[in-house]
Amino acid sequence: MGSLEDLRRQRTRTFDTIAAVVLTIGIVGVLLEVLVGRYGLNWTYIASAWPTYLRGAWVTFYVTTVSYIVGMGIGFIIGWARAARVSVRKPGAQGAAVFGVKYTLRRMGDGYVAAIRGTPLFVQIVFVSSVLVIRFSSLDPNQLALIAGLVALTANTGGYQSEIFRAGIQTVHTGQVEAARAIGFSRWKAMRHVVLPQALRLVIPPLTNEYIGLLKASSLLLVIGIVELTEIGRREAFFQGKPFESFAIVTGLYLLITVPVSKIVEYIERRLRVPGLGIQAAPTTRV
Amino acid sequence: MIRVEDVHKYFGTLHVLRGISLDVSKGEALVIIGPSGSGKSTLLRCINLLVEPDAGRVFIDGVHVNRHDINREWVRQQVGMVFQSFNLFTHLTALENVMLGPIRVKGVSREQAEDKAKQLLARVGLAAKANAYPAELSGGQQQRVAIARALAMDPKAMLFDEPTSALDPEYIREVLDAMTALARDGMTMIVVTHEMGFASNVAKRIVFMDGGVILEEGHPQEIFEHPKQERTRAFVSKILR
Repeated sequence: MGSLEDLRRQRTRTFDTIAAVVLTIGIVGVLLEVLVGRYGLNWTYIASAWPTYLRGAWVTFYVTTVSYIVGMGIGFIIGWARAARVSVRKPGAQGAAVFGVKYTLRRMGDGYVAAIRGTPLFVQIVFVSSVLVIRFSSLDPNQLALIAGLVALTANTGGYQSEIFRAGIQTVHTGQVEAARAIGFSRWKAMRHVVLPQALRLVIPPLTNEYIGLLKASSLLLVIGIVELTEIGRREAFFQGKPFESFAIVTGLYLLITVPVSKIVEYIERRLRVPGLGIQAAPTTRV
Repeated sequence: MIRVEDVHKYFGTLHVLRGISLDVSKGEALVIIGPSGSGKSTLLRCINLLVEPDAGRVFIDGVHVNRHDINREWVRQQVGMVFQSFNLFTHLTALENVMLGPIRVKGVSREQAEDKAKQLLARVGLAAKANAYPAELSGGQQQRVAIARALAMDPKAMLFDEPTSALDPEYIREVLDAMTALARDGMTMIVVTHEMGFASNVAKRIVFMDGGVILEEGHPQEIFEHPKQERTRAFVSKILR
């Protein structure tokens, strides 16, 4: 406390806060001027229609979250498989079999990631949906759409998250594993107690980006008839003739999910921060 | 204590070790010198099986260790290793670095491991830094924690792979002092280093390696002042300068 460095940081923080407040007030002022002052927002409509939007927001939230969590499992496994160096082939039939399985899994992972990253999410959604509609035509179309949406989003985020995990695991220096092996850790224990604690700290910011990106990308699900937040906004805008009101609410609800998520993760990141492994929050970009 | 018999190692087509034989008795400190690329590090790694020898045999305390049916994790617990680049676990404090092995590998209780880790940190002069993270320590302090971490596994022998090469000159002394003390306490050690002062003080025997073979070995004085081989002479004159 009280060092020059602390003082400098304190000042920067104060300045940042003031700048942020001024900027926010400015933007909100301009928006209000345009929407309320010139156009005149219909507050009675907003007051009566918001529960409809909330239902859409819920669909968006849970489709995103379920896909994200399942995708994290897929991403972790594939990321680990792809990060592992080609292991030594042990002698004997068993050694050859283990080597073959590992090799095949890794190549399959490569193909999966290439397919997911190399095609638009929009195409993936339509593709999965069309396959399911043809194969399971007897099912309720609404359920089918939801399943297709979940499958497509899960596959998509699984591919992207595997790259995040791969980068995280590979960023942990090989010397760390060597040191762990030298005091008698098995491969798995070295991963569990040395690599993962470091890799997970490294991947928190990109994983947060991925969640927020996925949440926004989930608006594409409207193309297969899932009534999520953006679709509600679109319907209300056209059928009720309220474009400004509806998209103002939609915007607000997206922010109501993404901003708290960012804040919570920021807090977790601060709690887990270790000197020398420090990562500053990365800017969010996607889609 | 450590016996190496005609060990060969290939990396692809590169023949890195071309028949190395070595015998280190209990309590002896052996120093290995030689130009980079001569196979010194690979030899150390062959002893604790971080690298698997392609031919030849390695014995630790009478046990033939480079067999396929041996538990490599067990072998590595018998010999501690200290690296050129320290390789402390960056997410753990000095104390936790020393405790991790005993707790997770040996199954020692947390209290016992902590007591022992504190003693070991005190032994290398770092009792006050127990709760510092590696990034908050100087290179010399990190390397001393690394020595304590290796000792925490109660190894029968210690391998040092150029432990002072990555250090700023002002930190070399403290690490060498810790190693000297360890040798005086009777630890069996194999040290790859170019610190001639340390070699003369601590080692009874120096091995000169070049091109994957042992070219010459002998008492430090002999090697430094009257090397028999031309290449030893050339190398020694370079590092003594």
